[in-house]
Amino acid sequence: MSGDIFFAIFGGLAALTSLLVVLQRNPTHSALFLVMSFLNVACIYVLLGAEFVAVTQIIVYTGAVLVLFLFAIMLVRMEDLPEMYGGHPVQRFVGPILGLALFLEILAVILSTVPLGAAGPFTPENITALGGNTQALGRSLYGDFLVPFEISSLVLLVGAIGAIVLARPDYTASRDREIGSLFTISLGHPQESTIATPSVYTVRRDEQLILHAEEETETAGEAIKR
Amino acid sequence: MENFLWVIPAAPLAAFIITLLFGKSVLKSQAHWPAIIGAGIAAVCAWLTFFQVRGLNAGEALNNHLFTWMNTGAYSFDTQQFKVAINLRADHLTALMLLVVTSVGLLVIIYSVGYMHGDGGYYRFFAFLPLFVFSMLMLVLSDNYLLLFVFWEAVGLCSYFLVGFWFRRESANKAALKAFWVNRVGDVGFGLGTMLVWTTFGTFTFTDVFGQLEKRAGIGGDITKGTITAICLLLFCGAVGKSAQVPLHVWLPDAMEGPTPVSALIHAATMVTAGIYLVARSWPLFDLSPGARDVVAIVGIATAFLGATIGLVQRDIKRVLAYSTVSQLGYMCFALGVGAYIPAIFHLMTHAMFKGLMFLGSGSVIHGMHDEQDLFKMGGLRKQMPITAYTFLIGALAISGVTGLAGFWSKDEIIVGAYHAGYPVIAILGLVTAALTAFYMFRLYFLAFEGTPRYDQEHVHPHESPATMTVPLVMLAIPSIVIGALVGIPPDKGAIHAFLGKAIRSDLFESHGSVASSTTLTFGVLSTLVAVGGIFLAFAMYMRLSPNPYTLGDRLHWLWTFLWHKWYFDEVYHVLFVKGTLAFAMACWAFDRYVVDGAVNGVATVVGRSSGRLRRVQTGFVANYALAIALGAVLIVGVYLIARGDIFTQLFG
Amino acid sequence: MHPGLEWYLSLSAVLFVIGLIGVLTRRNVLVIFMCVEMMLNAVNISFIAFGRAISSATGQVFALFVITVAAAEAAVGLAIVIALARRQDTVDVGRIDTLRE
Repeated sequence: MSGDIFFAIFGGLAALTSLLVVLQRNPTHSALFLVMSFLNVACIYVLLGAEFVAVTQIIVYTGAVLVLFLFAIMLVRMEDLPEMYGGHPVQRFVGPILGLALFLEILAVILSTVPLGAAGPFTPENITALGGNTQALGRSLYGDFLVPFEISSLVLLVGAIGAIVLARPDYTASRDREIGSLFTISLGHPQESTIATPSVYTVRRDEQLILHAEEETETAGEAIKR
Repeated sequence: MENFLWVIPAAPLAAFIITLLFGKSVLKSQAHWPAIIGAGIAAVCAWLTFFQVRGLNAGEALNNHLFTWMNTGAYSFDTQQFKVAINLRADHLTALMLLVVTSVGLLVIIYSVGYMHGDGGYYRFFAFLPLFVFSMLMLVLSDNYLLLFVFWEAVGLCSYFLVGFWFRRESANKAALKAFWVNRVGDVGFGLGTMLVWTTFGTFTFTDVFGQLEKRAGIGGDITKGTITAICLLLFCGAVGKSAQVPLHVWLPDAMEGPTPVSALIHAATMVTAGIYLVARSWPLFDLSPGARDVVAIVGIATAFLGATIGLVQRDIKRVLAYSTVSQLGYMCFALGVGAYIPAIFHLMTHAMFKGLMFLGSGSVIHGMHDEQDLFKMGGLRKQMPITAYTFLIGALAISGVTGLAGFWSKDEIIVGAYHAGYPVIAILGLVTAALTAFYMFRLYFLAFEGTPRYDQEHVHPHESPATMTVPLVMLAIPSIVIGALVGIPPDKGAIHAFLGKAIRSDLFESHGSVASSTTLTFGVLSTLVAVGGIFLAFAMYMRLSPNPYTLGDRLHWLWTFLWHKWYFDEVYHVLFVKGTLAFAMACWAFDRYVVDGAVNGVATVVGRSSGRLRRVQTGFVANYALAIALGAVLIVGVYLIARGDIFTQLFG
Repeated sequence: MHPGLEWYLSLSAVLFVIGLIGVLTRRNVLVIFMCVEMMLNAVNISFIAFGRAISSATGQVFALFVITVAAAEAAVGLAIVIALARRQDTVDVGRIDTLRE
């Protein structure tokens, strides 16, 4: 009975805060409501008996990811303008309709199906015998799912490196390139010999190309001015 | 019996490959050596083979199995396996053909060294010539119809290459194409004939086909006379095309666009005689079909007569010779038709000698006159080029049938044969043609070599050709004089008859009884008379101008025009086939343009337009793509629900 | 623990659809990103609910993996957003159309 009440409270709050994330104009506000939403979902996890996942959720999402979001919001020039809110008219119109349709369909599936497979070994009695839900999860994670678990650490590593490379400012990238070219020993031919000495013809052609490009740029510029 | 037949075609083939690979880069102006050496080896081996074959008994042959070409399963229970072997076979007929092909081929190749000197396509020429020699040798060495057909086409291809040798000349291209296409008409018949041979006999091999005839085509046999006649006529179709018989003779005169040595080798001595060879090779079939033989005889005499009449008025030195070739091929053809196979081959051999000689002589004239071919712009050339003139005179005497020379013996035998076999009209027409032949040949000789010069003496200085050209002339002149007497005496019982009689054992001719010596004598005198008469008339008209040929031409203007236009064959063909084909092609083009292309273009337009619309879907906005993904999700779940079908009973039932 | 499986799944569906609507209608790429995280969370609820319903720890294991991947994704995604904002000077998906043709 208490489960029902808590489910109603946390579920309702999760849905509400999620809705507010979507509806808030200010991204900072959205982020804060997202924290609320995640916390409520964490509570739902607790209701489901997944304490470890709940704690992880709080630490990773509300602790790390949301801080990342806030950093990003601060780093990016804030465009908290009315036109940033809501999308293209078609999008704004079609999006909710599609969402509603999907919701109804999923609901229909949920209500019309009993999709239960074979029962696993972690019945409440077994979990209690093991010493708790976290112990049971640990056994599964370090037993059946050892290899995927290790690979997921690689995913995190690659994600971290990728983030660093992607978010690096442009000027550091160009400087790194210069340093790299200075300290790279070329194994091929010297660069002079790979590029053929331009003949009169190619030079003329290149000049024409440049002239042509300049003309084009000029006309484009004029068009923009107009 | 041990033999080395494979060497004979292999040597020219090797020469072809070597010249093709190295001719342009390495050999250059020495590109003729592989051809000469290859043809020389072939000639030596051909002579050795000839002596080997001479020791064989009747019906025997040398066999040289190289490899199996095709070997497929039987396509039904009552037929044999489809098996074709590359098998070389040399009997007496082949041995003789080998001699003709290799010796004339060798002389022509040597001659070409002088004639083609300095030509831009020198190496190309000396690559194609051995290729032709190879194909021709394989043609006569084939032991079955299919292989013969293949090389029949191969020589046609070489002819195409060599007629169109100066491919920058439009007329040469047209002539090459014409030769190729006209030959196709006949080759369709030949191809069908080959198929009919297979379906009838279940084999392509000559010996097997002929071996079955006795049992299956006789009384009570399962092969009807009609089938045999059909096979004969279809095979003869190919011969009509290849040997330039009426009505497919039109390509041969145009083929003179090729270099003169090519005309001598391919279009006088060897390739055009392939049709004669084919019929002679198939003698057991033709023996059984009098109807087919009659067709052959009529076509042959028509060709002989027509070719000779057209030859009367031609101005181009090579065209006169070309029509003469058509006419002489007609002789061989009607000889085959009346059953005189051996005289036909005899004439083939002598003709190869003297016509090759005359073509090479005309080439020498053209060479010395700086590419002048018009007879009426020559004259008196005997003083400047004596060797050419005298050898040409020998050739002209030989073809005219003056007693003692090569042409006399073979041609006379053919006419006697026609008379003896019960075709007196053909014999008389043959005699008339012989008179015409003598006339136009000496017309040519007198116009070119005698009388006063009609060319521009200030600018044109005729000169005798180099030794590489005159030596082959002399080499051909000798057999042109003696070969007839050497192998053809006494008539019908000479060395050549004994030799060929072992391969062609037709008793068709003998069934009329032996030729009376009085008949032989009568026709010998008659043909000598008509030959001398023709020569005398030519002398009177073109040396003494009485009767004056020019006023005669004006008086008989209609006849002259008719002959000048070559009996209007080309014109009729143009209207019938070229225009008809063009009209049909135009209709096809219109269909293609408006119906097929219309459909294709319509589809393309529709696709283009609709994709132009669809292109706008690719907005580049991520949000739109997200929308599409969501739509996809909705659709997938929807399809899942609908596919389950019982959703409503589950929900509300 | 009394609510049935279908309740949890329904809650998951609600959160998922709200996230989806956010992705479809918002223009700020950061908010869109938040909505994606929300959808991942919704899926996690489904995983855990299913796992509990069949007495298996696999649901939770998968939820953990999803969280891991989501963390990596957030790092990379936000880096992309920052690079994008630096280059295009906007976080408005309505103005980023370099994918066009």
